[in-house]
Amino acid sequence: MMGIVAYLVFFAIVVLIFGVATLGLNLQWGTTGLFNAGVVGFYGVGGYTQAILTAPGRPELLGNLGLPWLVGIAGAMAASAIAAAIVGVATVRLRGDYLAIATFGIAVALQLVALNWERLTGGSLGLTSIPRPLASVFEEPLSYDLFYLCLMLAIAGTVYVALERIVRSPWGRVLKAVREDETAAVALGKDARRFRLQAFVLGSTVIGLAGALYVSFIGFVSPFDFVPIITFQIWTMLIVGGSGNNKGALLGVLIVWGLWTASGTLISKLVPAAFQTQGGAVQAILIGLVLVVTLLFKPRGLIGEEPVVSRHLG
Amino acid sequence: MRHGMIRGALGTAFAALLAMLLPQHGVLAQTAPSCPVKIGGILPLTGSMGPIAKHIAESAQLGIDHINQGGGVKGCQVQFILRDDQGQPTVGVDAAKYLIEVEGVKSLTGTVSSGVSLPILTAVAAPSKMPMISCCSTAATFTTLAQEGKTGGYFFRTLPTVKTQAYASAKVAAERGYKRIGMIYINTDFGTGMVKDFSKAIEKLGGKVVSTVAYNENQPSYRAEVNAAMSGQPDALFLVAFPQDGATMTREWISLGGTQNLILNNALRTPDYVKLVGAKFLQSAFGMDNASVAGPTVDAFRQAFQTAFNTSPDGPGIYNQYDAVMVLGLAMNIAPDLSGPAIRDSIRRIQNPAGEVVGTGPDEFKHALALIKDGKPIRYVGATGPVSFDANGDVSGPALIWTVKGDALAIDRTMTLEDMAALFKQIDG
Repeated sequence: MMGIVAYLVFFAIVVLIFGVATLGLNLQWGTTGLFNAGVVGFYGVGGYTQAILTAPGRPELLGNLGLPWLVGIAGAMAASAIAAAIVGVATVRLRGDYLAIATFGIAVALQLVALNWERLTGGSLGLTSIPRPLASVFEEPLSYDLFYLCLMLAIAGTVYVALERIVRSPWGRVLKAVREDETAAVALGKDARRFRLQAFVLGSTVIGLAGALYVSFIGFVSPFDFVPIITFQIWTMLIVGGSGNNKGALLGVLIVWGLWTASGTLISKLVPAAFQTQGGAVQAILIGLVLVVTLLFKPRGLIGEEPVVSRHLG
Repeated sequence: MRHGMIRGALGTAFAALLAMLLPQHGVLAQTAPSCPVKIGGILPLTGSMGPIAKHIAESAQLGIDHINQGGGVKGCQVQFILRDDQGQPTVGVDAAKYLIEVEGVKSLTGTVSSGVSLPILTAVAAPSKMPMISCCSTAATFTTLAQEGKTGGYFFRTLPTVKTQAYASAKVAAERGYKRIGMIYINTDFGTGMVKDFSKAIEKLGGKVVSTVAYNENQPSYRAEVNAAMSGQPDALFLVAFPQDGATMTREWISLGGTQNLILNNALRTPDYVKLVGAKFLQSAFGMDNASVAGPTVDAFRQAFQTAFNTSPDGPGIYNQYDAVMVLGLAMNIAPDLSGPAIRDSIRRIQNPAGEVVGTGPDEFKHALALIKDGKPIRYVGATGPVSFDANGDVSGPALIWTVKGDALAIDRTMTLEDMAALFKQIDG
């Protein structure tokens, strides 16, 4: 019984980490309509910055500055914001599929930088012994996980509330206007490019925060953590949950990550020992099937965007 | 907004409640094991490693079957619960956590890629005091972490580390009188580890590495890398690569006038590579590989695998995975109880120099159980030969030196475990 609780706590932490990343993507895609196919790039920048700033020093590495956890988090957000600003300025003219291709390329490039800049990132060996916040206070893994869960609830809750307010603010309404009809927004005197850039940077900062939280939970980072499939997973979470709706984004994470892990459990329970080695393939099929069925019956996601109608109408 | 606050408050209350329950958790863990005893497996059954991992998983299952036919663990049958890590760290870590907390496995085996095994070890296995044996993770980081005491001694691996290959090739290079060696290596933990260990060894033996160039896979040409390696005017080239890219590089190296004194890593020991390069250019090349030890225990495993799956076990990690499982089976029987620390300590007791030799297969396992029951020491000689873990959970193994004679690959000589032990002593001091 305690074991199940311990696992669920761990599961919830991972859900909340992905949840923060998905909220960031939702600001970009759900609200502003920016097709960021390089989610994992910013997730990785956040993760690596956290590692480089907080991990204990090693003679062969440039970074590993051994700074406090909070400095790492702040630095990670700043670094992903700067990376997003540079990428954004270069690509803000691009829309739709063009932006997708550009950001995808950038994410792959960032992963290769992580793999090759050995002095900073540890290359293929990655960076180890990244401190977990307050790790010395808790001895039992479960009590530590409970602490981290509370921390994640606080952070994810803050991000959720902040984004909800932002989206409902005048600034958020402009983002939606840009998404729905850019020409009309420009005609009303809004600088669409500037708003798109702001949304891109803010969203990527949140995604970078998620990366930093992931790395400081696991305590290890390597280029393996930032393979392109993460982008696909986070996108799936958003689309299944319902893009344009922050509640939907979080629900999507719960469903998709739950499916991803539960299908593995199911396979190991149902498939007889002799066929276990084929189980992995069945799991992949199962995941794909459920996703396709969900989207067939709920094309706008489980909780779609709330209709926005001016309160002066009706 | 209200929603978020309520959730936060609930979470805190929940946490407080659980914190009160914690002490009981410790007590529960002490109680006697119930049947069946579970061993967790994590392997990349899908993804790019899928084709390799399928046979590794079969090998693990074969090991479990042999344990069960030979009497199981402490009178219980063993249940193997296999999970797919998809080559993805997050998935692997989740699987490990599930196996430990929900399934209550007593030990773990896995996984292939170091980038997945490492987070499983540092985030889940080591904090939970869960012994873990990998068949295939080569990264030097595991050794470093063990030396720093970060693994708690819970990590073991049954394949010789890069060191074995690096030291063996350094020795032969020194014998051949190579003084200035250039290196081109694949940019993975395997490649970087090879550079580190080889450089250290060759310097001890009187040579020097004059240039090191990393390469990334699947490029049409490697002229830039080849030129950079040549800039140090090496009298020999050490190539750490996989066959396709390795052949491209070797051809470019030789056509640009590079020396034919080549040192090759084990992955290049395939007829494909020789054919792609042209055998006549490889007559003065040599390479090394981990030697599979010959002997009755190895043959017995080979036979059993062949019969069970109707395919040859000559692929990466298959012998090593079998030994990983058998070591767990033996250690869990030796351990006074099935707690993590007890199993961890017992893993070192499967290789007692004074013990009676036990080999592979169900009958040998049954024999081992009888010995353990009588309190006698055992010496496990498995599918990869005598399995003996050092202080960091690493094994060393015998190496073989191969060359190209005429058109075909040939074995020049083998360096036995004793030779290697002497070499390790000479270099590491």
